Amino acid sequence: MKTSGAEFFLELRDVHKIFRLPSGEVRALDGVSLGIERGTLVALVGPSGSGKTTLLNLIGALDKPSQGEVLLEGVRIDCFSEEKLVQFRREKFSFIFQDAKPLRMLNVLENTLLPFTFFKPKQRNGSIKDAAIESIKSLGLGHRIYHMPSQLSGGEIQRVAIARALITHPAVILADEPTANLDRDNRLFVIDTFKRLSRERGITIVFSTHDLEIANSSDRIIQIKDGVLLKDEPSLCPPCPA
Amino acid sequence: MNLLSLAAKDIMRRRGKSVYLLTAMLIPVVILSTILLTVDNADRSLSTLASKFGFTITVQPKNIKVERIDQIGVVIDEYLPETVIQSIDGIVRNRIGNKQEAIIIAPRLYQRTDALIRRSSVSMVVAGIDFQAERMAKPSWHLSSGRWPTGDGETVIGGAIARANNLSENEVLTVDGRTFTVAGILENYNVSEDYMVFVPFSALQDISGKKGFVSLVNVQNVSLDRDRNLLRNVVDELNNSIPDIKTLVPRQFSTMKYVLLKKTFKFLLSIVAATVFISIFAIFNIVTSVLYSRIREIGLLKTVGASRSQLLFMLLGEYSAMGLAAGIAGYPIGMVMTHVLDSFVLNLGAGVRFSLTVLLASIATGILCSLVAGFYPTYKLAGITISDSFRTQWEV
Repeated sequence: MKTSGAEFFLELRDVHKIFRLPSGEVRALDGVSLGIERGTLVALVGPSGSGKTTLLNLIGALDKPSQGEVLLEGVRIDCFSEEKLVQFRREKFSFIFQDAKPLRMLNVLENTLLPFTFFKPKQRNGSIKDAAIESIKSLGLGHRIYHMPSQLSGGEIQRVAIARALITHPAVILADEPTANLDRDNRLFVIDTFKRLSRERGITIVFSTHDLEIANSSDRIIQIKDGVLLKDEPSLCPPCPA
Repeated sequence: MNLLSLAAKDIMRRRGKSVYLLTAMLIPVVILSTILLTVDNADRSLSTLASKFGFTITVQPKNIKVERIDQIGVVIDEYLPETVIQSIDGIVRNRIGNKQEAIIIAPRLYQRTDALIRRSSVSMVVAGIDFQAERMAKPSWHLSSGRWPTGDGETVIGGAIARANNLSENEVLTVDGRTFTVAGILENYNVSEDYMVFVPFSALQDISGKKGFVSLVNVQNVSLDRDRNLLRNVVDELNNSIPDIKTLVPRQFSTMKYVLLKKTFKFLLSIVAATVFISIFAIFNIVTSVLYSRIREIGLLKTVGASRSQLLFMLLGEYSAMGLAAGIAGYPIGMVMTHVLDSFVLNLGAGVRFSLTVLLASIATGILCSLVAGFYPTYKLAGITISDSFRTQWEV
């Protein structure tokens, strides 16, 4: 199991997360340390309540650890102010949640461009709209660009979430059970897309899943149970050629 | 797409809840605009009424009861000797000193009689007046048609009686055997004079057999209008020196009524304040409920890069837009309510008039209520962490 080291792109050092509830304390993560290299596709697996989502939230600075450190490119991000975190997330992270459905009042293109309602795009050639349309087309939604979310299937909705995640050119994509509730074809499409993005664009992708077939398609599988890392090993599937 | 267009799309998507919220915002706006428009209506009605009584003081028989401003200047079957005119003139001139200014003294004589109009007998009140003095004292007196009388055989009639009897200029009416030609028709002022026929003072004295008598004497003087103490002294002296008279100050009635109106206005404003307060609670509850149902959406917006201040701006922008809509929609509803209230309850008679001030007050109330009620829940929800927003217990 890899532990702390300055060479890691993403790193967690002895991270604990404790939720204090009226019924008592829940130790969601208990001394987790791990390091992830740039451009890796990492699958987090484990039973429900094992701490996968909590771990993703801490990696993405959506939550703060009760103890320990979270670093991105060697910089501690767990002690950033809210203002700095917003800026940091805009530049580095994209999120895909199982529950984060597209906004119902916006069409596919508008949902894809939603991040730019809140901040200006990084410097780039060509129009953002063209880039969004290109991204949507590359995900097989070329015929759905101006469709509303209510007109899309579950698989197509998840592709819209991926398109939205990609439009900001993130360094890291964090996905919480992105293939849940999808049929096999759509699950494979999502994981193949992730693989392509990590290989071609060097995006670090960390996703949680219950699906071992999907997990085995990743570069690395981290198994977690009761807030503790059980296994951290390369997947059975050999890395695809670049 | 900017934040405000995103907010507008959201309002359109949640039409049902938006209408519900809009209704809660409408309540204080409608009540406010109704009350303000009613007060404006009452104020104008009062000032119109006061302007009808352009005289400073009215001297009339002591035993005529006067409880309202529109009862001043209507004296039937009670008379004063014409010599009071000289006494009044003397007292007023003495009190105002050597000032070279006009004292308008306008005696009136009233006679209830049956007049002949196109061979039909019509019961009416005929007022004998000094046209020149009356017109000098009451510049707001206007004719809707015709001209002012130039001779003893001419008359001017009130707008209401002209309409009721379909009378027009140059028609003839006969009062106690004497014929008068209608020279002009007065505008309608919603006062008792609208139903009167005005003939020259001396002519009515002749035909009514009241030679040497007056029903009342109106006086107007600039110094008396300006100086309250002087006015009080003149009134006291007139009442004390001339037997069996009562001196009234018409403007004083309107002032008293105005003071009463101001007090009522304050009471009505406290009702508006209470309504606004209660409505803010209602809006607060609806906003909170709506926001909790949007908690995942807020989480999603934060994941794509929305900051707390941007969310606050967007959400408060939504509520402000709805407050603005409530302000604009509430104003015409308030106008209708005022009209209904005036027609069936208050009968103020001045009519409902467009008031930019009231419209702006309505809009300000709508926006202010929505912002005050919406700020706290929006501020709290905009500050929620992304991880908390996706927890299942927030499901509504």
